[in-house]
Amino acid sequence: MKYCLSVLVVVASLLLASCGGGAAPVATQASASTQPSASGAPVQITYMEWGDPAELDVWNAIVADFEKANPNIKVDVQVSDWDSYWTKLKTLLAANTPPDVFAMDAPLFLDYKTRGVLLNLQPYIDKNPGMLDGLYPNTLTAYQSPDGYFGLPRDFQTIVVFYNKDMFDKAGVAYPKSDWTYDDLRATAKALTKDTNGDGKIDQFGYVIDPWDFEPGMSEIIWAYGGDLINADHTKTLIGDPKSRQAFQFLHDMMFVDKSIPDPNTSQQYGTDLFLSGNAAMIAMGHWAVPGYSEAKFKWDVVQMPKGPAGQATSVNSAGFVVGKDSKHPEEAFEFIKFVESAAGQTRLAQMGFACPVLKSVAESDAFLKQSTPINQKIFTDSLAFAHMKPVFRGYDEWSSTVGDGLTPMWNGDVELNPTLDSIVTSADEVLAKNK
Amino acid sequence: MDFGLKPLGRERLWLWIMLAPTLVGLVFGALGSVLATVALSFTHWDLLTPPTWAGADNYINLFTNAAYFKALTNTFTFSAMYVPGVVIASLFVAVLMNRKIHGVSAFRTIYFLPAVTSAVATALIWNLIYGRDTGILNFFLSRLGLPAVCWLCTKNAMMSVVVVNIWGAIGEGMIIFLAGLTAIPREYYEAATIDGAGEMQRFFSITLPLVTPSIFFQTLISTINAFQAYDYIYMMTRQGGGDSSIPVVVFSIYRNAWNFFNYGGASAQAIELAVLVITLMAFYFWLERRYVIYE
Repeated sequence: MKYCLSVLVVVASLLLASCGGGAAPVATQASASTQPSASGAPVQITYMEWGDPAELDVWNAIVADFEKANPNIKVDVQVSDWDSYWTKLKTLLAANTPPDVFAMDAPLFLDYKTRGVLLNLQPYIDKNPGMLDGLYPNTLTAYQSPDGYFGLPRDFQTIVVFYNKDMFDKAGVAYPKSDWTYDDLRATAKALTKDTNGDGKIDQFGYVIDPWDFEPGMSEIIWAYGGDLINADHTKTLIGDPKSRQAFQFLHDMMFVDKSIPDPNTSQQYGTDLFLSGNAAMIAMGHWAVPGYSEAKFKWDVVQMPKGPAGQATSVNSAGFVVGKDSKHPEEAFEFIKFVESAAGQTRLAQMGFACPVLKSVAESDAFLKQSTPINQKIFTDSLAFAHMKPVFRGYDEWSSTVGDGLTPMWNGDVELNPTLDSIVTSADEVLAKNK
Repeated sequence: MDFGLKPLGRERLWLWIMLAPTLVGLVFGALGSVLATVALSFTHWDLLTPPTWAGADNYINLFTNAAYFKALTNTFTFSAMYVPGVVIASLFVAVLMNRKIHGVSAFRTIYFLPAVTSAVATALIWNLIYGRDTGILNFFLSRLGLPAVCWLCTKNAMMSVVVVNIWGAIGEGMIIFLAGLTAIPREYYEAATIDGAGEMQRFFSITLPLVTPSIFFQTLISTINAFQAYDYIYMMTRQGGGDSSIPVVVFSIYRNAWNFFNYGGASAQAIELAVLVITLMAFYFWLERRYVIYE
């Protein structure tokens, strides 16, 4: 009896734990399914997105406008943080109860499109000729496929350099100009790297990037040096090519020779955002940071990414709308998308301040250019002129994790740059082959 | 440890009625998930398209996958340090707490606090303690004239994380050992004292042998916990992009499933983890028969 009981205890705790990870999120699946509408009653659709809780207010305002124009459709907006969003979404899709409309990050688009869970929007677009006319073409590309559009961009992000004006003024350093170079960036960052409290440790850094994510900081310099992340048909990882390597070496030198970029072990001590905490003079970021930074106690502005030997480059990425293939109300879902793509919807989105509107007329209007945060908003749209698209391919999530995870020990200073890049390319190419 | 009282007649009925909610949950919830996990481990499944038969692919892949091997190594290294650490530290604390000192219950509460505190919150506090330039620990070291240590850098992170996990587990271990210690009859100690046994001799000749059932139980529980350890480790070693500088098997399972669309592979990893723990348990039970002393 004694043994039996102990064995039972052991087995039971194992079972509970080994299933906990997989089984727990399933519990949330029931909540979001849509109600089939009784005839005559308004149709209820669900819109799900990741984002800041503050975004819910803006979306509710957009929905109120939309419902006024379409009294027979009601929209339920659900906002989750980034990680929970994808877990929740996958569970809903697996249960065949997807939200009618949900947000998509362009690079991940093909991970879903190729698995057949998205609705082809082309027939609906065809019924609304001219609907895509005023949209920035670079934001549409990601959602194009030979069979048509399986998604539409909602807003976009270009990466720019945010700089702390107070820090520049205090150090007597000139503000960066729109045509500055990476050498200028390096010199500026060096001049702004300081030990402000005299304890012998640097606590103010010239520049900061997210060294695990290509989008803000790394892909821009790689392109500016003439390198690339991945080849056109997404079969080969190019971050180990000579020009890409030069770009890595440049950042590596800033981090370990100049110490003007904090390494991850250093930066994690200052919380998640060194720019906002006043520990960094410049940061490469997208428009999503603007509402948070508007709370900063210092003056700041934005400037284009610098020029490299191969010219100026930044990254453009869009968040978009997709419709679940199993949505019971595709017509109504598309009406909602159409409304958000319209001038009225885009104007509201622009005022929200988390991203740039994809509708050019709105991006060039005061709704976007004259937001409450007094910065040069035009820099974000001007940057489109030299923007490269953030890569979009099947297996993006695994590929970017493989590369990002591989870089971590190098940025932590545990391993050398060149052999690290070599081994990352090998394992990243395996991921690409697997996802073909 | 055999049961002194056995349920009789109507009591038997009530026994099953009382157990039913838990048993139903276990059978349909846990057991169902386990069977599903076993089945999924033989498929390729991305959650969104129907699973396809994979044969032993996922299991073969466990042997060739470098990332998984790293996670497995980390889990074993972690367990090898954590399990003895928890058993020794919590036994030590329990022996101290088993005395008639003023305010002993306050101390017991303090030691138990980590067990009832959110792991995420405590891990964040430990991050503040371990900070290289800003941390409290290095502040004290510098006061003593010692050089700063980067506690959470790759080469020290495992040790730092093990310490926090042990610290977090002492409370529960202490409770188990306190129960074991209180069960030892006072007369043994009195007799030993009369025979002239010192403090150390009493501990090694009376306490330690008689507390072996608790040591066995605590080792078992700690081992299971060690193989499932995740929250403190991830919170303290997470990197930007969702990676961890000490990826453990549970982390690998999560990542493969929810980030890489690889539910089949994740299931195979979960099954292998379970098989490893069950094997270890079998070994423990073999040891129990040889070394554990039941009165």
